[in-house]
Amino acid sequence: MTDELDDMGRTREDRWASLLRDANAGGRASYVQFLNDIAPVLRGIIAARCGRPKEDCEDILQNVLIAIHEKRHTWRDGEPVGPWAYAIARYKTVDAMRLSMRRPTVSYDGTELDIVDEASHDPTAAADLDRLLGKLDATSALIVRQIRLEGRTAEEVGRTLGMTPGAVRVALHRAMAKLSALAVADQTEQSGKARE
Amino acid sequence: MNTDDLIKSLGSELTPLPRGYLTRQIATGLLAGLVGTSALFVAFWGVRSDLIGIVSDLALFAKTVLPLVLACLALFWLHATARPAGRSGATRLIWGIPLALILLVAMTLVTTPGDAWPMALRGKSIVTCLISIPVLSVPILIGLLAALRRGAPEHPALCGAVAGLGAGAAAATVYSVYCIENSPLFYASWYSLAVLAVAGCGGILGYFFLRW
Repeated sequence: MTDELDDMGRTREDRWASLLRDANAGGRASYVQFLNDIAPVLRGIIAARCGRPKEDCEDILQNVLIAIHEKRHTWRDGEPVGPWAYAIARYKTVDAMRLSMRRPTVSYDGTELDIVDEASHDPTAAADLDRLLGKLDATSALIVRQIRLEGRTAEEVGRTLGMTPGAVRVALHRAMAKLSALAVADQTEQSGKARE
Repeated sequence: MNTDDLIKSLGSELTPLPRGYLTRQIATGLLAGLVGTSALFVAFWGVRSDLIGIVSDLALFAKTVLPLVLACLALFWLHATARPAGRSGATRLIWGIPLALILLVAMTLVTTPGDAWPMALRGKSIVTCLISIPVLSVPILIGLLAALRRGAPEHPALCGAVAGLGAGAAAATVYSVYCIENSPLFYASWYSLAVLAVAGCGGILGYFFLRW
């Protein structure tokens, strides 16, 4: 609204553009700085959109960051970075809300996925987990098994799979999100069957 | 997982991007589709024998050039809809096509006697036209949609529809050199209908296949 705000917006935009340009050329430090820089702004946008406290929106934020990572080639040098990233955040927020409306208790951050912890001592939970893991692709299932159940580190698993530890962590994050969605869908299905 | 850790992971996974990656993907998809469409066209349709007159006859010329221009504009528009917050000047220019069609039809209505209108509109090949354009657009639409999987459309259905518009218009361009109809009344109606149908199909396909 004021000149001052406008100026601040412009310098931030310039900084993001130069960081992202650098990142697209392979600059990891610039990339991490860009993501760290933009994450709080995105967190605000997501919170405003999903109408829940900021802490609850962290899983959506992580999905947005992964989407920005996977779609970073859709930013064209010369176009503003802010609106581009905000559009991704809006898209992913709407997407997450649509999903959570369909499945009211879905959790994207797989850490609350009790079944994975229970699986180590409860035989039915272990069988359930096996079934759910069977629905993932082989690599994802292997990563979940080795890190979550056997307690191995991303570095170790990365070495056996020939992936960087970072790639393993991202794959784990995605696999856990998918697994929670599967678990909830599974539960709804089971309770549906029980009602019949 | 903690967000800071995720950011670090993403950073360690970073690889340099080739320049103009998405543009090249779309161009490749388009090219592959055009090869398929051309092969179909040569095998089952072929160029009409009296095509030489095309440049001298405005109505005949427009039958090929209008869909060609529409296809080009649709591709620019497509490139914009495939990117978050993407913009393109082509979005506005594209309205020139219906405008040009209306002008062309109005000119034809003035120069053609009223009792010849129904015949000009009906022509001899409505069914062929309505089947050929969608069929010829299939390879191009597939090529474009495959490329767009790498994009990030904010509105997948719109993006698919624009891909359909481009594929339909490109198919209409190719079909126009086979088509024996000369009256703008014919092609302004039936070509448009066929292209819009392809756009509609593209929209439906986009809704399902272009989510990300």
